[in-house]
Amino acid sequence: MGKTVGIDLGTTFSLVAYIDTAGKPQCISGPWGATLCPSVVSLDADGKIVVGEAARQLLLTQPERTIYSVKRLMGRGVEDIRDELKIFPFRIDENSRNVIRARLGDKYFTPSEISAFILRELKSWAEDFFKDAVDRAVITVPAYFNDAQRQATKDAGRLAGLEVLRLVNEPTAAALAYGLHKQRRGRVAVYDFGGGTFDISVLKLISSAEGDIYQVLATNGDTHLGGDDIDNALFAMISADISAKFHFDVRANPEAAQQLRKVLIAAKHQLSDFEHTTIGFELPDGRTYLREFPRADFDKLVEPIVMRTMGPVKMALADAKLKPSEIDEVVLVGGSTRIPLVRKIVGDYFGRAPHAELNPDEVVALGAAVQADILESGVKNMLLLDVTPLSLGIETMGGVVAKLIPRNSTIPASAQELFTTGVENQTGIDIHILQGERELAQDCRSLARFQLKVPPAPAGLARVEVKFLIDANGILQVAARDLRTGEQSSIEVQPSYGLTDAEMEKMLEESIEFAEQDFAQRQLIEARVEADTILNATVKALAREEAQSLPLAERADIDSAVRNLRQAVAGTDYKLVRQRIDELNRATEHLAEIGMNKALQAAVGGKRIEEL
Amino acid sequence: MSVTKTQTGITPAGTQQEAVCWSCKAPSGGGHFCAACGKIQPLSREADYFAFFALPQKLQIDESSLEQRFHQLSWKLHPDNFVRASEYERNLALERSSELNDAYRTLRDPISRVEYLLLRAGVRKEGTTKQQAPPELLEEVFELNESLDELREAKSEGLPAGAGGDLTELRAKLTEAQANFQEKLAEVDAELKAVFAEWDDVPVGIEGDAARKSVMAKLNELLNRRSYIRNLVRNVGIELEQG
Repeated sequence: MGKTVGIDLGTTFSLVAYIDTAGKPQCISGPWGATLCPSVVSLDADGKIVVGEAARQLLLTQPERTIYSVKRLMGRGVEDIRDELKIFPFRIDENSRNVIRARLGDKYFTPSEISAFILRELKSWAEDFFKDAVDRAVITVPAYFNDAQRQATKDAGRLAGLEVLRLVNEPTAAALAYGLHKQRRGRVAVYDFGGGTFDISVLKLISSAEGDIYQVLATNGDTHLGGDDIDNALFAMISADISAKFHFDVRANPEAAQQLRKVLIAAKHQLSDFEHTTIGFELPDGRTYLREFPRADFDKLVEPIVMRTMGPVKMALADAKLKPSEIDEVVLVGGSTRIPLVRKIVGDYFGRAPHAELNPDEVVALGAAVQADILESGVKNMLLLDVTPLSLGIETMGGVVAKLIPRNSTIPASAQELFTTGVENQTGIDIHILQGERELAQDCRSLARFQLKVPPAPAGLARVEVKFLIDANGILQVAARDLRTGEQSSIEVQPSYGLTDAEMEKMLEESIEFAEQDFAQRQLIEARVEADTILNATVKALAREEAQSLPLAERADIDSAVRNLRQAVAGTDYKLVRQRIDELNRATEHLAEIGMNKALQAAVGGKRIEEL
Repeated sequence: MSVTKTQTGITPAGTQQEAVCWSCKAPSGGGHFCAACGKIQPLSREADYFAFFALPQKLQIDESSLEQRFHQLSWKLHPDNFVRASEYERNLALERSSELNDAYRTLRDPISRVEYLLLRAGVRKEGTTKQQAPPELLEEVFELNESLDELREAKSEGLPAGAGGDLTELRAKLTEAQANFQEKLAEVDAELKAVFAEWDDVPVGIEGDAARKSVMAKLNELLNRRSYIRNLVRNVGIELEQG
């Protein structure tokens, strides 16, 4: 068994974290030295998948082969994202139905597959760090994600070759990291404003004899509200200005659009620390657009977006039956909380300065690592009691929704419903499962439809009990039982948005095509390269004159170690290759010493003392 | 969504008294875990939410001790504890911890607590509440509905010049009526509380049967009244807000 990690699969950035030997959560850096991996995926001209910082660079030069903010597409249908398509450069297969397919170059991928590429990248960061395989993970999701969005995230984990031990809500993970950091007690509001999603969770932190309990009282949010929206508002404003001044339509030029977007994001970041910035953008024809941009102008532009977070905040407090003044601590999470206006609005509302001691980009991943460690080690000194963000119901007569599990119920949660037939010899009962707060089925999110099979009988005789259960991941499970026979009924569920089992199987097969980056294989390649280097060096050293002074037994040892290593290199076991490399290293220690002395003598001998 | 087609841990036929542990085959003691080997046990289909917390079927519950008990059981039953257990045990933990959460959600709120009790006793049916006005409220309800109709009419006709005054008056009237009914709601809640005590004093066993039946009828009647008034308050609230 390999290692377990915590992963924050974010809209704009993703991170991977683990628990160090001192028991502290730490983020792992990638090859670029940063812990943040841009959630950008590109398909390069050779058909190779590129992820992260390298893909972000490609966004500027080959935007048609690159995708970002794919989290916005998770668990959604084509009709859901019509509005987003006006703003985001997603290239969607018009024939996609239950699951969106986005185009990268000449290939189509589901959002789960694209997310799996990001997860694979993080997995390889962790494997390079541990020098060991990573095969299990806790992955975080926005608290307000519905069933389909959660399932799509879990699918992504599977496609990336990870067993998903648990999906943890992002604000809850942050609370966990904060709780560990500060030993907090009382009622905590976590305000999580990220790149693409907004969540608010209200928690109660309780000490008990067994350990600390993090009980979520209520959660609310908007899975399509984040820093992306701020970037888009800025983009709309500045591109209109450029169009007015230069008669140049930035939107019509994908490369220029990405270049401008990059400039604007940098300006946004500047305004978090400074009162003033200058937006400078070079048009493709060489003309330069310059605009002074004070923070006041920025605040005016983004205030309506920030205010959209306050509706969910009020609803979460109402559901928790708390007033803003009854909150003991407010914790800020997510990159967008760096915006001074956000801090001010949140601080004013709660009447207290919010906490932001931990890096708001990293805190969710750190919390995920904590939960991963709890699940992995079995040593438990804290317990998360999370809730389902949306009410679960079924469609009844007249398209009205009957609520079975109310929102903010602690999970796992379940409900049982008894169904019968209305017509003589009816052989099936149609069931439509929904998620949402509205009264009518058409206004709620359709999760799935299925038909209960019943043997033909007079109307009303059938008795089928259906159990709806939301597990600790916030994902629904359905089981049916015929009360007359006591047998489990078979049900074929067709998810409204999401992959069927068959589609998932097919994708798992296809994902192997991209699994060339798998740990064992990567290790083997690296070990072979290293083996080549040491074999070449040994052969060269043995050919030198000083090697003749080696005792015969030593010489025989080296020859046998070389043979053994060559044999191992021909095989596929990277561990064996490493072991044989070590053996050869040991066998050639003396030889290396002799060679070193000789080289040193040569080097020193040629120079005068003062030069050394 | 995923679909479980496997057995979800529903107990095979058998009575609670002679519950036998699925793992060590010794008598399990009927608790959450086997008394002999400590393995988590399947839920009995007869068990109710009160029994889950080892509570008698009483309506006056100390909410803070219920919460404490909930937390204690959460430590033991949460799926976190069973990540590395067999699939069968994982399913048992899932079933039992969801039952724990369902039970706590139901019992912690006095109204859902009494509704559950009556539901189990067959006195009340789910989703079927009588939508008849309690006789003593008939007059006030009639008046309220009239005002509501007037408000809806005024709103649908738009705001003709000079009608602003009428609308304001209507709103004031409705707001007053809403407050009035809210007061009545509080009265029903107080009455319910009194009957809770009455229920808890009913002697156990056959000697309490008659009293139990009459208290249940009383509780049911109060619940119907409560849900009727609550709907009224809510509807008025919606109309006032939409203005």
